[in-house]
Amino acid sequence: MGRLKIVMRGATAAAAALLCAAAMAAAAPPDFTGVWTTAGSSTGGNSSPATGALPLTPYGRARLEAYRKLTDGTDDSPGRWCVGTGMPGSMLGSGAYPMEIIQRPEQITIIYEAHTEVRRVYFGDRNAPPEDRIPGRNGYSSGRWEGDVLVVETDNLVDQVDQRTPHSDEAKIIERYSLDGKDAQGRRILKVEMTMIDPKFYTQPVVMTKRWAEVPNGRLLPYECPEEMWLDRIAEVAKERGVPNPFNPDSVSVAKD
Amino acid sequence: MKQIIRTMTLAVAALAAGAAMAHHSAVQFDFTRQVSYTGVVKDFAAINPHMRLVIELNDEKGKREVRFEGHSTNNMYRGGYRKGMVKVGDTITVNAAPFRDGTEGGYVVSAETKEGFFGLRSSRAQDQRAIGEETRRQAEGR
Repeated sequence: MGRLKIVMRGATAAAAALLCAAAMAAAAPPDFTGVWTTAGSSTGGNSSPATGALPLTPYGRARLEAYRKLTDGTDDSPGRWCVGTGMPGSMLGSGAYPMEIIQRPEQITIIYEAHTEVRRVYFGDRNAPPEDRIPGRNGYSSGRWEGDVLVVETDNLVDQVDQRTPHSDEAKIIERYSLDGKDAQGRRILKVEMTMIDPKFYTQPVVMTKRWAEVPNGRLLPYECPEEMWLDRIAEVAKERGVPNPFNPDSVSVAKD
Repeated sequence: MKQIIRTMTLAVAALAAGAAMAHHSAVQFDFTRQVSYTGVVKDFAAINPHMRLVIELNDEKGKREVRFEGHSTNNMYRGGYRKGMVKVGDTITVNAAPFRDGTEGGYVVSAETKEGFFGLRSSRAQDQRAIGEETRRQAEGR
């Protein structure tokens, strides 16, 4: 009898351990680590909405129209001048280049191939003190898990009238990332539902959905951009001063021994 | 036929990769048409945000330089370009979506030298339209 009790107690402990492991497995968030590319179709974000389609305030409309008046029909865009897309454009498409996600419990790093833009999403204590959060085109991002859904809140954005979805420096963006089954090729789909709140530019929240498809064993390519402008600058300076361009081997004379 | 299949596969692959960037004002180019040029490379740079190519033509219209734009280095690599494929002095054949204003040159849809080929191509007229459209989508980052 005593022996049976021990066996039963052992079995109970084993069952409890199993239950505990199952609970832990259920609590573990999905792993989004990998390279992702724009899935077959997405709603919004990757196309340029007509000015009339965005719920712009009179202020937002005036700002956007001024920008478009200046740049429409020209080659001028942030990307042309090696300026990164910035949020929300980076997440909504990043010029349709792929992105890479590196996931750790305390930090998720998102690298967009275009202009090698990087977003760091901090969790819990890993977050920077508010006074250390530098405003920028991709802002400051803080993350949390709601079950299997990754929620990212982004602020500290700079004014970006040059985006397809333009906004002021008061914009706040909430993204909800979740796995959304597989596509016809069996690739995982990562769905991102975005809400941007910016009372300066918009009369109501701007809501868009983007779908990314996983690229098995994918690699991002390096994206160098400003170097050409630097080389042009050096060539210009050398010409102005009438000295050899050190980047041009033919123009540099080598002393003979 | 094999070639068509290969190029269409490339087109589909490019579509799947969605490789592109909205740097260009695509309105400058007529992506419904392609014009072929064969000349000698005078200037070439595989750079971002988009490539630069100048070739010298020498035909019944005389000797002249013609300028092209094209994809980013990244998308050129995805389209089959590799380092050393285009050098100053090489003979090159370029298929390009022409400038709308009639200027010679345009946006590179594909190019070939003795070192290799990159971009999208097909010998069938209906495919050329699809390839032009795909190139436009890449140029605009859609």
